[in-house]
Amino acid sequence: MSMRPKLIVALAATAWAFAVPSLAADQALIDAAKKEGSVTWYTTLVVNQVVQPIKQGFEEKYGITLNFASAPWQETSFRIINEGKAQATKADVFDSLPAFAAINAAGLVQPYISGAAKDYDPAYKEPTGLWTANIIQPVTPAFNTEMVPASGAPHAYADLLDPKWAGKMAWSNSPSIGGPPGFIGGVLSAMGDEKGMDYLHKLAAQKIANIPSNPRVVLDRAISGENPLVLAIYNYHAEISKNQGAPVDWIKMEPVVAHVGLVALTKGAPHPNAGKLLIDYILSDEGAKVMADAGYIPTDKNVKSSAPALTPGDNYKIFLVTPEIYEKKIADWTKIYDDLFK
Amino acid sequence: MTDLTSSGAHGRPKRLRAREGNLLGTSMALIVAILVLPPVWFLFKASITKLNAGLSSDGLTWDNYLRLFTSEALLGSLMNSVIFAVFATLVSLVVGGILAWLVVRTDTPFKGLAFVTTIVSLGTPYILYVTGWLYLLGRSGPINVTWKLITGRMDNLFDVNSLLGMIAIEGFLWSPLVFLLLSATFRTANAEMEEAARMSGASVSSTIWRISFRLAFPAIAALAIFVFVRNLESFEVPALVGMPGGIDVLTTQIYEGVQRMPPDIGYASAYSVAMICCIAVLLYFYGKISSAAERYAGITGKGYRPRLFKLGRYRWLGAAIVLANFVIVLLLPLAAILWMALTPFVQPMRLASLRYVSLKHFENVLGQSYYHGLFLNTVIVAAGTATVVMLLTLFTGWVVARRKAFGKTSEQLVTMPLVFPGLVLGLAVLQLALVFPLPVYGTLWIISFGFIIRYMPYGMRYSFAGIMQIHQELEQAASVAGANTFEIIWRVVTPLLLPALASGWLFIFLIATKEMSMPLLLSGPGAQTIPVAMFDLWSSGQSGEVAALGLIWATLMTILSCAFYLMTRRASAKTFG
Repeated sequence: MSMRPKLIVALAATAWAFAVPSLAADQALIDAAKKEGSVTWYTTLVVNQVVQPIKQGFEEKYGITLNFASAPWQETSFRIINEGKAQATKADVFDSLPAFAAINAAGLVQPYISGAAKDYDPAYKEPTGLWTANIIQPVTPAFNTEMVPASGAPHAYADLLDPKWAGKMAWSNSPSIGGPPGFIGGVLSAMGDEKGMDYLHKLAAQKIANIPSNPRVVLDRAISGENPLVLAIYNYHAEISKNQGAPVDWIKMEPVVAHVGLVALTKGAPHPNAGKLLIDYILSDEGAKVMADAGYIPTDKNVKSSAPALTPGDNYKIFLVTPEIYEKKIADWTKIYDDLFK
Repeated sequence: MTDLTSSGAHGRPKRLRAREGNLLGTSMALIVAILVLPPVWFLFKASITKLNAGLSSDGLTWDNYLRLFTSEALLGSLMNSVIFAVFATLVSLVVGGILAWLVVRTDTPFKGLAFVTTIVSLGTPYILYVTGWLYLLGRSGPINVTWKLITGRMDNLFDVNSLLGMIAIEGFLWSPLVFLLLSATFRTANAEMEEAARMSGASVSSTIWRISFRLAFPAIAALAIFVFVRNLESFEVPALVGMPGGIDVLTTQIYEGVQRMPPDIGYASAYSVAMICCIAVLLYFYGKISSAAERYAGITGKGYRPRLFKLGRYRWLGAAIVLANFVIVLLLPLAAILWMALTPFVQPMRLASLRYVSLKHFENVLGQSYYHGLFLNTVIVAAGTATVVMLLTLFTGWVVARRKAFGKTSEQLVTMPLVFPGLVLGLAVLQLALVFPLPVYGTLWIISFGFIIRYMPYGMRYSFAGIMQIHQELEQAASVAGANTFEIIWRVVTPLLLPALASGWLFIFLIATKEMSMPLLLSGPGAQTIPVAMFDLWSSGQSGEVAALGLIWATLMTILSCAFYLMTRRASAKTFG
């Protein structure tokens, strides 16, 4: 296995030298995709940070029009499942782990093993090609650095039970891995079921505000000072804001719960080849670079995140939630959230 | 009355006229039924269907209703819903009503300001408005920060995430609508009675209370029910303001159900079906009020241009109220939004933050071609929707007001979509579009279709309220002069109704440009609208860019609506001049 990446690098270098199209996508696929003419991507990603640059890069490279429809994961999965039910599928490619779980449960995912992910860590791809991860999304707490001195910030789960945080904390109400259920999963995996539940009961007494939105909006509440401490946000969002001068920092509460962001092909996709080509492009070094430039953490080893401290592994231990774990556990974790925190 | 049936050269036979009217009534009822009933059917079906992961039916069930009525949270959230809706309605009515009366019926200064306030705030997307308010009243907003600075205390003066905060924000959010609707009512009120009262020695205040208010009562009552229902159904403010404070209302329960995966569509639908039944009760009372409304008809064949009250030494008070409304409803939230647009991330308003101020967000928005297409899409959908709705409700309103065949049915059908939460209606329309024989799914057509259904009740309020003010004697005169039903509506009713129709068009246009929950579900690739883009930006934490985009958008909408307002004023001056 260790020879493989080197071989790829060598091949890529050769390819580059002779200025032939990328080896990641083979010519037959490109031709078939071009014949289809366009590709449709249902995305939950941020349009101007990620989707627009991908669209531009992909269209320039292949001359195939990329249409996208942007919506949160709930709406995205709704639409794809409804389209599938009516046999009027429009989406070729979609992203996001919770959307995948819903769409896969409806039997609407078409496996595709992308050559572009050949040297990806096996943890980041499903062996039969149902999904391939393109980013890692670590879920951590964050705090307002003006209101909370670094010394006063919590470092371990137990610190969150300090009475000074009562009524001050917030998290999103998203019944998803990026929200409270993910945090709960992290606690249970770190402490075990019994101790974990005991802890969660105590945490619930702290009266955490449920913000009806996603982690990014919750982070903004920490930045604006509405809630000096927020739980369950994505650490790279905090890093992006910090770099803009926002008074915020994220907390390494290990093991950090992280889940993958992924791409998958839709069953019955009207442009299956163009869809595969788009997946290849998103997983390629070029696509990963778009993610890294936007401040995200790519799974592609060849492309480093713009903030090295964000990358898990050497920097911090993670509990990686894959779609398989998600599908098995999310209902339990969501129920705990409903029972204790709402 | 048999003489008219055989009238010759001068009149049209009454029976023929009645037949035309009934034919129109039947056609309107049919058209409206075709629009409204399929989503209702989908809704009902969804409420008794068990769904599997593929959102396909797994058989029938009454579970959703059982859960709804046995839920522990139901009573608490029902109470919250009612308190919220009642008081928010009162706030809107008091704020909007006083303002409308001042502007239309008195010589108060700064009248233009009231219209500016209304037009701009109607053009400002909700999500932006509510964000602005949340910022102002929030824990780190200027009000609480100033309070803490002055008193040196650590606690907040005002907790915005409370029922009170919800009521205030929702009340202000809808007061421009009340202003628009009631100013149309007051404009057509019969001033002769007020003058008669004044000449008989009544004071200004007793004239207002005993004449103006009583005359406007049916319109106010109808509007109150309308706003109350809208508040009951609203979910932006309960979600954004109430949920973080743990205040649950009925709609936030649906919202949570739909946000789950697999979505709890059955529960949300059962809730909506139950709501339809509640609304039917409200509508029963509404029907009683409106059936008595003919006695209040203000526009008769006689000259009816209302004259203005002289406020005299109370002019300053009028000015103060108009100014206060301008500051509270427009200036403060816009200032908060502008502050957000100028700073890279949300932060308290203070001198030290001034170093972050930049135009970067504006440059980003203006520089991206992605937004230009969205602008066009949004305007096309909104203008198309407003035009179709006003045309539909002009005829339906007339049929209902003049009690033609199926008038009552049409009225109930038109009002029905009022009880659909946007997301639920979006779902129903989405399923409809998927099985529709033409390829409308994911296009601007289907968004417009959803909007037409959703905004028919709004258009109806404008048309119907306007027609109720027109005494039948004008139409009878036209009929005697030989006009057929269509001519009566087009050449007599429509010109007199123009101010109401124009206000309605404008209102629907503006509200359609900011509706978010439906296009979020219905828009396909290449058919997205501005609010969807704003939601996308907002939920990815780019509140600065949302604010910038929202301000640019609100500016455009304001220019459009000002032009429109001037245009209709000229048209109505021509009609009434």
